[in-house]
Amino acid sequence: MDEMAVRTNLRAWILARAKVSSPGVLMDETPLLERGILTSIDIVELVLHIESMRGVEVDADALEPEVFTSVDTLWEGFFSPIATGA
Amino acid sequence: MLTHSAPSSTAIAGKLTRASRVHRWDVDVHFDWPDAIPETAWCTSPELVSIHGTPLWSRLDEAQQRKVALYEAANFFSLTLQGERSLVSGMSELLYSSRLSGDVTEYLHHFLDEENKHMAMFGAFCTRYIGKVYPEKKVVIPRRRAKGEAEIALFCKVMVVEEVGDYFNVLMQRDARLHPVVREIHAMHHRDEARHIGFGRAQTRELWARYATAWSDAERGRFQDWLGDYVRSTWGDFYNPSVYRDAGLADAPWSVDPYALRREAMAHPDAVATRVRASRRVVDHFVRSGFLREPPTL
Repeated sequence: MDEMAVRTNLRAWILARAKVSSPGVLMDETPLLERGILTSIDIVELVLHIESMRGVEVDADALEPEVFTSVDTLWEGFFSPIATGA
Repeated sequence: MLTHSAPSSTAIAGKLTRASRVHRWDVDVHFDWPDAIPETAWCTSPELVSIHGTPLWSRLDEAQQRKVALYEAANFFSLTLQGERSLVSGMSELLYSSRLSGDVTEYLHHFLDEENKHMAMFGAFCTRYIGKVYPEKKVVIPRRRAKGEAEIALFCKVMVVEEVGDYFNVLMQRDARLHPVVREIHAMHHRDEARHIGFGRAQTRELWARYATAWSDAERGRFQDWLGDYVRSTWGDFYNPSVYRDAGLADAPWSVDPYALRREAMAHPDAVATRVRASRRVVDHFVRSGFLREPPTL
């Protein structure tokens, strides 16, 4: 799973749903929830999008709010374990 | 979380308590659970299956359609169960609050008892016939709220779950095509929820009058935006890729992408019309009460 492609895809998805009129330059470390770029209501759709990218269902019981902090944490939480075979 | 009981809530609570006593039922013995749901049985009205009307639906033979309908029933029951679990958690905190009248507290015991029974019957169907309850893929992200907003949001969320669910309960309890145990689940839920909806509406009105009138325009606008998003997002749960996968649609000969099917199903005109019809009563109530500025686009 190509890390750059995943990060690009996530940024594009987030920007398409951004709740702020000027999300600015969305960096991988930009705090998504803190800045109001995404809300808790977006989380379900984001999880489904991540599932469609991974090809593997997300364990709903293991979801923690912190994983949705930024694109960096989304990569680390959902994709890095698969990429490294962890 | 505390709320203040007002005369109308107390009056309603007394009537509802009497009705709950009259209609008390035992979830452990009420249902005649079959060992299995026959493959010839429908568990969701075909017109209410999430992918009804899509080209794929018309390509499925009736046996495959019934299989999808079984998993859709389990998904619907799972969603309602998850909503009620959240409600039970929030409402339990109100018990014996010094701000509640004795009548309201007494009714809350019946309310919680009935919600627990609902979760038990939904859970029983799901575990018996598909081996699981579909999980909730939600995460609660704490956010800054105005005074009283958390309580109002709780009751509004409950009303969405209950009133949208009731739309389907009413239709499916009388659909003679459905398996009797499915019809009975819908019937029992509808019977109890009619009381819960009445209580929820009274509580929400009073909470709004108590707290929201003191909110700033910005605070009220944020709540209205959130509620509109919530109503819209709740429908996303009805279109569950796991249902499509479990029903075999990702396998040959169908080999569909469950996530693409979900997007297609959600966008179908029939689905949009169903969402609008099922949401109308609760959305109209929210708009009349000032909780929403206008009906959200569904």
